[in-house]
Amino acid sequence: MKTEEKQDPGSQLIGYNAAMGQALVEEMRRDDRVFVLGQGVATGGWFGTEKGLAAEFGAERVLDTNISEAFQAGVVAGAAIAGMKPVVNMGFGDFALIAGDEIFHKLAKWRYMHGDNFPMTAVVIFPIGAMGGAGPEHSACSEVLGMHYPGLKVVVPSTAADAKGLMRAALREPNPVIFNSSQSLGWTKGQVPMDTDFIVPIGQAAIRRTGNSGSVITYGSMAPRCLEAAALLANEGIDLEVIDLRSLVPLDWNTVLTSVRRTHRGLVVHEAVRTAGAGAEIAARIQEEAFFDLEAPILRLGAKDVPLPQNARLEALCIPSVTQIAAEARRLVTL
Amino acid sequence: MYHRMAVAREIEHVMFKHTREQRFSGWWHPGEGQEAAGIGATAAMRTDDFLFYQGRGTSWAIGKGMAPGPIFGDLLGKVTGATKGKGGGVPHWADRSIGIMGEGATLGSVYPLAAGAALAAKMRKTSQVALANFGDGTAARGTFHETMVHAAAWKLPLVYFCENNGYLVGTKLRSVCPTENIADFAAGYHIPGVIVDGQDALAVYDASATAFERARDGGGPTLIEAKVVRRHGHWAGDPQLYRDTDTELRNYRDPLDVLRASMEPAAADALDAKAMAEVRGAYEAAIAAPEPEESVIWQYLYYEN
Repeated sequence: MKTEEKQDPGSQLIGYNAAMGQALVEEMRRDDRVFVLGQGVATGGWFGTEKGLAAEFGAERVLDTNISEAFQAGVVAGAAIAGMKPVVNMGFGDFALIAGDEIFHKLAKWRYMHGDNFPMTAVVIFPIGAMGGAGPEHSACSEVLGMHYPGLKVVVPSTAADAKGLMRAALREPNPVIFNSSQSLGWTKGQVPMDTDFIVPIGQAAIRRTGNSGSVITYGSMAPRCLEAAALLANEGIDLEVIDLRSLVPLDWNTVLTSVRRTHRGLVVHEAVRTAGAGAEIAARIQEEAFFDLEAPILRLGAKDVPLPQNARLEALCIPSVTQIAAEARRLVTL
Repeated sequence: MYHRMAVAREIEHVMFKHTREQRFSGWWHPGEGQEAAGIGATAAMRTDDFLFYQGRGTSWAIGKGMAPGPIFGDLLGKVTGATKGKGGGVPHWADRSIGIMGEGATLGSVYPLAAGAALAAKMRKTSQVALANFGDGTAARGTFHETMVHAAAWKLPLVYFCENNGYLVGTKLRSVCPTENIADFAAGYHIPGVIVDGQDALAVYDASATAFERARDGGGPTLIEAKVVRRHGHWAGDPQLYRDTDTELRNYRDPLDVLRASMEPAAADALDAKAMAEVRGAYEAAIAAPEPEESVIWQYLYYEN
């Protein structure tokens, strides 16, 4: 009798949002507790993430809702408490604020405040950031909120492979996860492993580029821009290390601190507004733990402290560009 | 039912005395006068039905089968409490093994959670029903509407149970509500809206049993409104300057007396005595129980395998 050898299924070039959807499909096949709800998910989702789900799993597991974010997040919390593994796409991260009680009180605190210990899987997708003229109420980066309400885990993928691997990790995670998907990356493509157990562990950063001149700490939409800036600066003899955090809760402090201790300089870059963004916490923590290894202050680069204007040209001026990142990194190494 | 109601009442007495003696640092919200609602409704529930309750009194948790021990332990912040020492007045009792799922202390926040549990039951075809218990003051919440729109459309096994005592803390409901009854809202969702005498546990039981049967049979949600009387203030110590209690309580019918009328007096007396002994014993045990270790602060922030 012939034994079948397990073949490496290899990888495929697919889009970032589609890769999230691929993890959803595979986990829905594997675990009948997983289901998806949101606005327009039964017709494939606004940004293609849920394409094909309803055809395969039917209306019972792919539920369209009214425009009712508080209900959507609340029903997810209740189903998770009852042992299901719900996924909700909030449409835009901005809309998730309407469901503040359900996400930041109920999902984050329910087990803690009841002194109850049980696996509680729930994935809340926050599509975040600018997508070219979506306006001030459709473009914010609210990922820092998940860091400020203990009890949640928070991820922000920057590649299609990570979008898939982190989504699978979130669906196998016994804690609620805020899954921040970057809108500007939604249609970018990348090689994605097809192994149905491929996972990117939550809490593990990736060193995208090694270097000695300084450490750039970034995530989400700014990761590719930082890499581009690092490639520019390499021509000038500036050799940056680029760390893609991938998760904000838990945050891979070990990778961050090890890198900064070695390069002695750090720059945090994110798309969220600069004031009280994730960068504030990261910079503070680095100086607390690695102050005597530093040659320069930790710098932060984020969006201007304004609601993003709908005019796409003005919007672009608010968000760190490759040129600005490169300029800030140049400043960092000369301080 | 009478025994459980007597237990809930005795806890009220003990907590009244306890807060008066200023040994209590918490936020106790007395439930005296409203016991028939929780006791009558939970008597119609299966053990595995899902209960999401609001924070006044103890009758919902007692009715669903929680013992006084973990309740007092929680109120007094002791390790014997349902929350293992994190509590302090606003109840967060939960015991999923008997369907006590928990309480949302941002009032009126359990509507979508109960719907989520109901959805889980429907998807798993377990014939479980979820109950969302709330006060009249939170029927104006957006999630009341958002949730019932979906629950009615999807025919979720969900029961909305309103305890209408006429007051939102100190604001009279009639000054902020356009309808005479909360149950009137049901018409908009094409679901039954049932008004029941909340001082009468048997009437509450009957209305609840009908709603549960309908939900279990796939008929969808029901909105029950129990007209109840809040015997005391919103919180322990509330001077109630907003309320003419003498006039309002002139014709007050105590829910224990109402149920007692259908019983042998000796049998009721025996249950009273039994309840008193149980509750006093649980209270003394909670007083004697240790405070939690500081490490409880970090407990169950994330799942502990």
